[in-house]
Amino acid sequence: MRKMIAISIAAGLLIIVADCSQAADRDGGAQLAAMCASCHRLDGGDGGIPTILGMSPEMLTRTMLAYRSHERPSHIMRAIALSLSDEEIATVARYLAALNRQVRP
Amino acid sequence: MKSWTRREFGRSTGAMALAGLGPRLAASESKARVVVVGGGIGGATAAKYLAVSAPTIEITLVEPKPNYTTCFFSNLYLTGLCSLESLTHGYETLAQRHGINVIHDSVAAVDPVAKTVGLKSGPKLPYDRVVVAPGITFNYDAIAGYDEAATQVIPHAWNAGPQTQLLRRQLESMEDGGVFVLVAPPNPFRCPPAPYERASLVAYYFKQHKPRSRILILDAKDSFNAQDLFLDAWERHYRGMIEWLPAQFTGGIKAIDVKERSVETASETFKAAVANVIPPQMAGQFAQQNGLVDQSGWCPIDPITFESKLQPGTHVVGDASSAGDMPKSAFVANSQAKACAFAIAAALTGSERQSPHLFNTCYTFLSPDDAVSNAVSFKPVAGTIKIVDNFGSQVQESAETRHRTAREAQSWYTAFTRDTFGYAAF
Ligand SMILES: Cc1cc2nc3c(=O)[nH]c(=O)nc-3n(C[C@H](O)[C@H](O)[C@H](O)COP(=O)(O)OP(=O)(O)OC[C@H]3O[C@@H](n4cnc5c(N)ncnc54)[C@H](O)[C@@H]3O)c2cc1C
Repeated sequence: MRKMIAISIAAGLLIIVADCSQAADRDGGAQLAAMCASCHRLDGGDGGIPTILGMSPEMLTRTMLAYRSHERPSHIMRAIALSLSDEEIATVARYLAALNRQVRP
Repeated sequence: MKSWTRREFGRSTGAMALAGLGPRLAASESKARVVVVGGGIGGATAAKYLAVSAPTIEITLVEPKPNYTTCFFSNLYLTGLCSLESLTHGYETLAQRHGINVIHDSVAAVDPVAKTVGLKSGPKLPYDRVVVAPGITFNYDAIAGYDEAATQVIPHAWNAGPQTQLLRRQLESMEDGGVFVLVAPPNPFRCPPAPYERASLVAYYFKQHKPRSRILILDAKDSFNAQDLFLDAWERHYRGMIEWLPAQFTGGIKAIDVKERSVETASETFKAAVANVIPPQMAGQFAQQNGLVDQSGWCPIDPITFESKLQPGTHVVGDASSAGDMPKSAFVANSQAKACAFAIAAALTGSERQSPHLFNTCYTFLSPDDAVSNAVSFKPVAGTIKIVDNFGSQVQESAETRHRTAREAQSWYTAFTRDTFGYAAF
């Protein structure tokens, strides 16, 4: 929660004026990003599985769509990209891009 | 250490109150309580994601063991490719960073009427919702001569820790030229590819240290998960070392002679230098004793919230659940636990709940640098859970691809255990 609030502020979504759709976007983004956390470290660490922090929402969205169309190969990312709607991809991409600003080493 | 999470939360509710977000504040005052039974993959993930998504809820995680050793990657430990310490994880981060009240005890019973969970040591914990994730138990009635006492001589090594250590010691002290007999269980069981991954990695170990030794798999089934990938790898890496005998060949497993270290099938008795019997499985004892299982031996659940179909207010995740097409794996336990945590948070705090996304991903080692992966997505359909997409490695892949998958698997282990036990950014 602490983190989510910090993120909202960092992303300019002031909580004082948060309306329902922003709250829903934030909750939805966190719930979708939870799915990414099963394989991608969300603390900035890297390894054989690349980090997904540090990308812009546009870049993240484009990458997900490339997995969905099989232009980029990966069993796992293809299954995930196919199961998300365009809107969900946009939501999680915004969430992850905002999360990046909060990551400490 | 609970305090800073709570303090921060206090600040945020203040802000929300100003913004007029009434329902959240009201929820915080009622202090909903969730008790999680079992700190394995399903339980630890559920506790963590409840803490992350609903800081107003008081969460207690009850687990008898001070540390958790993962079954996944234990086949690497078995054959000397990693240490048991590297597979062992504590609960400190869940307690300190996420404010979860971790109690090292066993849960004796759930009282769904009084809404309390009774600890073995006596105290009763009140709850609004309880999440049950006790994993599996073994059906020792199924194979004559193989019971709990027998596991001290012929390990199953299907829970990681002392059992895996025992099997490793036996493999290490086995003389070259002996036969390792692995008895594979009937469906459904924890981690469908794991017996065959075990056979592959033991073959790798034999090839390095005991090249005249052989492996015999006596299967309760007639086919197995990713069979083409395994048969191809056995031919390429371990030609002549692994023999697989399906039930239709042996007539099925009948009895174990612990003294003789032999396995009797309907047609023949096989003598082992080292034996590994993986018995048939069912939902963890706790689920059996608390009215959560149906005649299948597993726990029927609602496919969206993972609430028990037999006991309202109790949710079951992980291996113990009977979740349609979803296999029993750590990845599935983690995926179900997240869906369940978000559903409980929504029910108790009025927060938004998205429709669940359920997945399984599986990395399997055929040799230390030849690994395969597969990924499946699922969706709740008509009261159960169905496969939507299924993508996986193919027989003809290049060595580079397989090598990359093995590296990816190592990276997955780190991310996944951090996600479950609380080290990731959330
Ligand atoms: C050799 C092997 C390899 C595997 N490899 C993989 C893999 O590569 N990928 C993968 O995804 N999965 C793998 N798995 C499967 C994975 O380990 C399980 O599916 C996963 O552990 C299930 O999680 P769970 O939470 O349901 O049960 P568990 O992780 O077993 O946790 C159950 C917990 O509940 C506790 N408990 C039980 N009863 C009580 C009680 N009464 N009170 C309190 N606590 C209690 C236990 O102490 C335990 O800690 C493998 C399994 C094996 C055996």
